Amino acid sequence: MNYDYIEQLIDRYFSCQTSLQEEQILRSFFNGNDVPGHLMQYVELFQYEDEAKQESLGSDFDERILSIVNEKKNVVLQPHHRFTPFFRAAAIVAIVLTIGSAADKALSDKSSHSVENSIEINPYIRQADIQNTIRIKDVSQAEARPQVDSLIVQPAENNLQ
Amino acid sequence: MDFTRDILPLKNILFRTALRITMNREESEDIVQDTLLKLWERRTEMSKINNLEAFAISAVRNLALDRLALHQNKVISLNEDLHDTEDNHPSAYDNIINNERTNRIHNLINQLPEKQRTAIQLRDIEGKSYKEIADIMGISESDVKINIYRGRDFLKKNCKNL
Repeated sequence: MNYDYIEQLIDRYFSCQTSLQEEQILRSFFNGNDVPGHLMQYVELFQYEDEAKQESLGSDFDERILSIVNEKKNVVLQPHHRFTPFFRAAAIVAIVLTIGSAADKALSDKSSHSVENSIEINPYIRQADIQNTIRIKDVSQAEARPQVDSLIVQPAENNLQ
Repeated sequence: MDFTRDILPLKNILFRTALRITMNREESEDIVQDTLLKLWERRTEMSKINNLEAFAISAVRNLALDRLALHQNKVISLNEDLHDTEDNHPSAYDNIINNERTNRIHNLINQLPEKQRTAIQLRDIEGKSYKEIADIMGISESDVKINIYRGRDFLKKNCKNL
């Protein structure tokens, strides 16, 4: 049997010129039964490469890590933990709205109270204000029509006297 | 992203990589567990990564190197033991490899400097491309080839003596 191809591959392997496929050919060859005496020195090397890939972690590792992951998952997925931020936000909004509406109500009560008081306590002042307003309105209308000024002002002066 | 489907299957390649660096089964198992849990905690970011396996191997290597730096004294004593190849008995982490001669290959590889043995691990055992190894190790492809070349050369010379 001609081993030139394998020998050539071995040379290229040790000079890092083989592809991954060619390296697999070498491993398959050295795991077979046709290895000639002069290439036997490489059997262990290529057999080891295949064997070392069998090194793995046991099922106990899976059980242990899965229990940790599930534990963490349960903590994360518990509804009261998951929705805590929303509950907090809702509570803050509710408090703000309650305080806001209470303050608003208090202020509006106070202002309406003071208006009522002013009407009850000073009914004459208010009446006088209204009369003044009417008078000012008349004056402004009079300013707009200067021709009739004397007609409007005079009765007012007579009233005051 | 699902833990059992996407993350857990990485455990063995990560374990072999860590084991090649730390040469300690318990430490490697611990490193793999930490890495897998971190990947799971950051799964939203992980789903955007193209090559999760390469990312995870790189993370494991960094963590293993950090642990090595922490236990420097232990490593020095371990290396001293490994240099004594004549009467080298199978170590505690050699559960799988029972054949005496392949066991010697195992010990030969473990005598290599870290970069060489990690590069050889990723190429000859895990079947990774030079590009992937370069990305994982954070070095250029030519540096990967140099490391593998030196490692294989050491093994070739020592294979003749087996």
